Amino acid sequence: MAAMSRLLRAAAAWAARRAGGTGIAGNTGISGIAPRLPGTLVPVRHSSGHGKRMFIIKATSFYDTRFLNLLRFYVFLTGIPAALFITYVNIFIGEAELAEIPEGYVPEYWEYYKHPISRWIARYVLDPPEKDYEKQMALLDIEAKKTEMRLMELQARRLMRHRGDGPWYHYETPDKNLVDNSMKSTPDN
Amino acid sequence: MPEDHDWEAYKVPPTRTPVVESTASVPNPVSFVQTVFNYVIDAPVTFVREWIERQQAKNKFYYYHQKFRRVPDLSECLEGDYLCFFEAEAQWRRDRMVDQEIVEIVRERVGACRQREGPNHLQNCAKEVELLKQVTKAYQDRYGDLGYHGNARTCLMKQKHRMMEERKAAQEKASE
Repeated sequence: MAAMSRLLRAAAAWAARRAGGTGIAGNTGISGIAPRLPGTLVPVRHSSGHGKRMFIIKATSFYDTRFLNLLRFYVFLTGIPAALFITYVNIFIGEAELAEIPEGYVPEYWEYYKHPISRWIARYVLDPPEKDYEKQMALLDIEAKKTEMRLMELQARRLMRHRGDGPWYHYETPDKNLVDNSMKSTPDN
Repeated sequence: MPEDHDWEAYKVPPTRTPVVESTASVPNPVSFVQTVFNYVIDAPVTFVREWIERQQAKNKFYYYHQKFRRVPDLSECLEGDYLCFFEAEAQWRRDRMVDQEIVEIVRERVGACRQREGPNHLQNCAKEVELLKQVTKAYQDRYGDLGYHGNARTCLMKQKHRMMEERKAAQEKASE
């Protein structure tokens, strides 16, 4: 502390000498509207215990904090209700227990799932697996019939082109009675 | 909640360590730690868990394992019958999953036996090890080198090749 004040006083004296020396003998340092050199001593109030207040220059964190705040807000907006709902379901409704299929009983298609939310989705949102199966088989059937039709069409095209006795590949040619053979009628042309 | 292991499946025989009468004057600190754990952690957790189970026991419901009907195999499908192919393929995939689970169960049995027997495992686990060997050989024969894109058709072709090899080996043996 004492050393610091001594150093500061020495710095002040050096600065005053540099500034022109008018204040060495008389008043206590720079006064009035004279330009202040960097490093000169100016009276400063130190806040008790915290030290001198500094204006710390660093890059802005405004956009970062804004982004993180918005992210937290929008994630929790649906996250917290969803978490509460799922906790309620898990505690008060609970998962199903595994059991053997009773004699003569055909379980519904949603009774093959364990978690109550999966059961609900399978029951009310998704189609029954039998319907899905039939849909897949229907698509396969349509594609199979299309393949068959295309193969038959190619076969018909090939045969009609070879044999020439079908309605396709029927090119109209002019009648041979219309051909003018007068330039070939005498041998000495 | 994830399922616990089935403790009844691999029964460990009761330990035969004798109860030791402690002759030291300092009490065992482990018992103190055990009582602390019991009161601080075990009792509250058990109380909460049992409360939850009481809430869940009010309306019980069950789930079942689906039983699929057997459909005609790939070898019984006519050519060009894509619907038959589709059903046979689905059935083959289900059978392959079942076989994988079987191999997994036999492997777990060997592991449990090894853990149980300790230093005697080479002698006492011979049956389980033999079973695992047979099961893995059978799985390898059937589904072995089909690769990622293996389907019912490639498996059928592999079976056909296997039968041809067997027939050739039988013929060679008969002609000796």
